[in-house]
Amino acid sequence: MKILPIIFREYRMIVKKRSFLISTLLTPALMAALIFLPMLFTRMARGEKTIHILDYSRVVAEALVQDSRKNSPTLHLYPASTADTAFDTAIDNYRARILEKEVDGVLLIPRDVRSSRQVRYYGRNISDFETNRYLAEAVGAVITRHILDEQKIDPDVIRDATRAIELDTFKVKHEGVSRSSSGMDYAMSMVMLTILFSIIMAYGQLIMRGVLEEKSSRIVEILISSTRATTVFSGKILGIGLAGLTQVALWIIIGAIFILQSSIPVSQGIRAFFTLSLAGWFALFFVLGYFIFAILFSIVGAAVNTDEEAQQFAAPITWLLVIPFILGIMVTQSPDSVPVIIASLIPLFSPTLMFMRISVSMPPLAQVLSSVALSLATIWFLAWLGAKIFRTGLLMYGKKPSLREILRWARYR
Amino acid sequence: MLELDNLVKDFDTKRAVDRVSFSLQRGQILGLLGPNGAGKTTTIRMIMNIIAPDSGEIRIMGERFSETLKDRIGYLPEERGLYRKMTIRENLDFFGRLKGMDKKKITSRGDELLREFDLIRHRERRMEELSKGMSQKLQFIISILHSPDLLILDEPFSGLDPVNIEKVKDCILEQKRHNVSIIFSTHLMAYAEKIVDTVVMIHQGHKVLDGSLSFIRAQHGRRLARIVYDGDGAFVTNLDYVHAVSDYGREMEIELASDDHRQRLLRDLVTHLDIHHFEMSDPSLHSVFLRKAEIKSLDDLEVGGRE
Repeated sequence: MKILPIIFREYRMIVKKRSFLISTLLTPALMAALIFLPMLFTRMARGEKTIHILDYSRVVAEALVQDSRKNSPTLHLYPASTADTAFDTAIDNYRARILEKEVDGVLLIPRDVRSSRQVRYYGRNISDFETNRYLAEAVGAVITRHILDEQKIDPDVIRDATRAIELDTFKVKHEGVSRSSSGMDYAMSMVMLTILFSIIMAYGQLIMRGVLEEKSSRIVEILISSTRATTVFSGKILGIGLAGLTQVALWIIIGAIFILQSSIPVSQGIRAFFTLSLAGWFALFFVLGYFIFAILFSIVGAAVNTDEEAQQFAAPITWLLVIPFILGIMVTQSPDSVPVIIASLIPLFSPTLMFMRISVSMPPLAQVLSSVALSLATIWFLAWLGAKIFRTGLLMYGKKPSLREILRWARYR
Repeated sequence: MLELDNLVKDFDTKRAVDRVSFSLQRGQILGLLGPNGAGKTTTIRMIMNIIAPDSGEIRIMGERFSETLKDRIGYLPEERGLYRKMTIRENLDFFGRLKGMDKKKITSRGDELLREFDLIRHRERRMEELSKGMSQKLQFIISILHSPDLLILDEPFSGLDPVNIEKVKDCILEQKRHNVSIIFSTHLMAYAEKIVDTVVMIHQGHKVLDGSLSFIRAQHGRRLARIVYDGDGAFVTNLDYVHAVSDYGREMEIELASDDHRQRLLRDLVTHLDIHHFEMSDPSLHSVFLRKAEIKSLDDLEVGGRE
């Protein structure tokens, strides 16, 4: 079993590297930061604001100030005297005060607000969505109350009559029924696709460069004089491949601990989404997709002579990886349509698309198994082809191979 | 032990190896000689089954090349390669296991060889921290670590200083004493002369010479006179039995048409010159090669004919 030392060596060379440890720990930290920092920032960014109200309707300002004291303590609203000045003059007067930061803005409520339902806000910063939304809603609420008051209708009656309907979605699966928010399926499939994409990009390139490096260092002459080229080639892919899977496994463990520990709504959704069998399918299709693309990259490494050439040939593979992202929307909308079925059986896309279909609604088992079988056959074929090209490509010196030559190598002996 | 029969290999535009045949007996050292680009490495790569010959046959221990044979062959490629990020010990472990050795054997035999080559104290250092000479030595150690029956060394002395060339040479002879059959290629014929039993010379893909060292020497006779002198030696060139002269002013190398003229030359020399030193010496492999190569390139001139 000469493949074992090769697998072991490749695996250890990567796992021992400091960059492996760093990326293993840093990636989850970064992901968490991406989720939580925007939340944190919006909360922090909502600073104190002083806004003057120019109320020409004379019915809004007072109630608005009272409401705000209760509902939005960071907003300081003050009714300003309109003193019979015209709009334009009033705003002109305020311009200097706003620019000198004496006040942050002016809310202008026209006389006919009740019919026009339009108010204006003048301020230095007009893209603070939180404040904008609050002001609009708050003015609306005051006007509604004012109208109801006039008509002598109890606000509670209206509140009761106009309550919104909430649509709860429940997912029906073989294991039973579970509550799940729509969009979760799609999001989770995309997350899986993203993980697969990034890990393949990182490790595919690593495998590609590893094979290329082996060529330039000429160690390969000793390797293939000690064992079969196929053994060297598959050992290399398995070794680097397992290192990549180790990293994913560590991420999943870190992620799982985090999700089980935390109580944020997202984690509840993920918990509802992931059943044991889905996790199994995830693992299976992840490994299949991973190795298909890893081998594709390693073939590039075996066929070219320089890093530049490698990048050039690697680009089309990247495109193959992007296609499932585009098809993904189609899959979630109609997972059982013919084009989706066909696409999910094409080996290069099937690992991602078939998993998406499974996560949306379980397709017929025959289709799932055929996509697994087709993927395995593809892996076998690509590994065979790769080993051939590896065997011959490694021993060619300084020649840039044409596609025709690569095919010729595949037939070589 | 090893037989090559009419090996041919064509590259894009030129024939790298043209109908080369030779054989190696058990426990013998065969020197594969020739200048750079003669086809030595191509021949060796074909023996190692790294590239396939276009025609001809290779038999190792009576068999065609196979996976099982790989563990019995040691190979030192011309273009050296070790894993730079790994230590000496890790490299030994890896390549040893690749030859089917178990860990214990790798350690015991490995340490023994490391001690012999003065590398034992660097055992835990990475290749990238070591000098080129050290990694050359380790590469050689790896080729003999698994005690092969057939050892193939492509330019084993390149990149080594004289002290280490001696060490490698001693080690090659040590292997021979253990009945290992060895092929080594070199363009440095002076080193080959000291250790080979058999010589195969290739030039431009052709075999130009094949035979035991003593046979080759006998065949080419003692026809070279080396003298140290004072005086005007210009007349020597005009002597009719002198074939070629290299005059360095105080020293001269005189190649005679045949060994029979030795006494005549000596007489002629002492009458005209003050002779400090006179000796007849074997032709060096180098001079034999030059003669052979030129015959070939001038196409079928009679043996011994020059210029």
